[in-house]
Amino acid sequence: MIYLSLFWTFFKIGLFSFGGGYAILAMIQQEVVTRHAWLTASEFTDIVAVSQMTPGPISINAATFIGYRQAGVFGSLLCTFGVILPSILLMLAITLSYVKLRRQPWFQNVLKKLRWLSLGLIGAAAILIGEGAFTDRFSVGVFVICLIIYWRFKPNPIYLLLGAAAVGMILG
Amino acid sequence: MNRRLLAIFLTFLKIGAFTIGGAYAMIPLIRREVVEKRRWITNAGYLNGLAAAQSCPGPIAINLSVYIGFHVKRGWGVFAAVLSTVLPSLLIIIAIAALFSHYADLPLVRKAFHALKPAVVALIAVPLIQMTRGAGLGPRNFWLPLAAIILVGLLGVSPIYPILGTILYSLLQSFWPKKGPV
Repeated sequence: MIYLSLFWTFFKIGLFSFGGGYAILAMIQQEVVTRHAWLTASEFTDIVAVSQMTPGPISINAATFIGYRQAGVFGSLLCTFGVILPSILLMLAITLSYVKLRRQPWFQNVLKKLRWLSLGLIGAAAILIGEGAFTDRFSVGVFVICLIIYWRFKPNPIYLLLGAAAVGMILG
Repeated sequence: MNRRLLAIFLTFLKIGAFTIGGAYAMIPLIRREVVEKRRWITNAGYLNGLAAAQSCPGPIAINLSVYIGFHVKRGWGVFAAVLSTVLPSLLIIIAIAALFSHYADLPLVRKAFHALKPAVVALIAVPLIQMTRGAGLGPRNFWLPLAAIILVGLLGVSPIYPILGTILYSLLQSFWPKKGPV
């Protein structure tokens, strides 16, 4: 039954992952940490960090990782397939009808509202991940410094994270 | 396997393997490969696909591979493009997952993650602030993202409900008699 549960959970995550990348994090956290307890909040944040340093979308990385942890290589394949299946089906439908669809005011209205909503979902992800991340003064300091560097200089995220990891190893 | 399919596979393998740091790093790379190098699709066609990929749920990279794969070689093209986009991260994450349980508790690894976690929050916060500025939020619509933050971030509600609610609300707004979208 774990297989069915893994597949269904990630199918749902794929189906409701509007707004790309960070907007999906709150959804994955809700399903994987709160609902099924497949990961602790702290492990979830670790995986988000790892995802940012490896190729591929976060939702797929999370699916692969959690699938492997719960049910080995087969589990990771199943979860990954589950999370991309809605994309494939819906995107094929949209590909065939997009030119007509995008002229419809109702379609544009739905997209506009979802874009606004996804800002809130990203904010929610920041709060959920922040809960596990801010444990002491050191972590708050790292956050502030990363915020300033990323804001001002826009480095590739991987360099920022590698730098943070190095600082953590030396000073953490 | 025919040559075109192999070309799709190799192109998206490269895209899947070298796009670290989110979808927005990958969009120009895909354009260069499929519009300029391979000439599978026109620039206008690519931009259409990108807009469609952004409006569809799911990772933009996967959505865009579906679009381009379908464009080039229908069903098999979709299969080859999606498989090769996913394959690099699938292999890397399985390797990391296999190693993670052995090394996660090493002091040095714990120390690295101690700093990585707040850094990740900064990675989320900066684009959020910048996106918020360009989103055209005002007194009439700021409640929508605010409600999502409170419901999902503070009260632990599943994002499914705000998403369904927003879709329903927008449709009602568009189709309710004598009331156009705001």
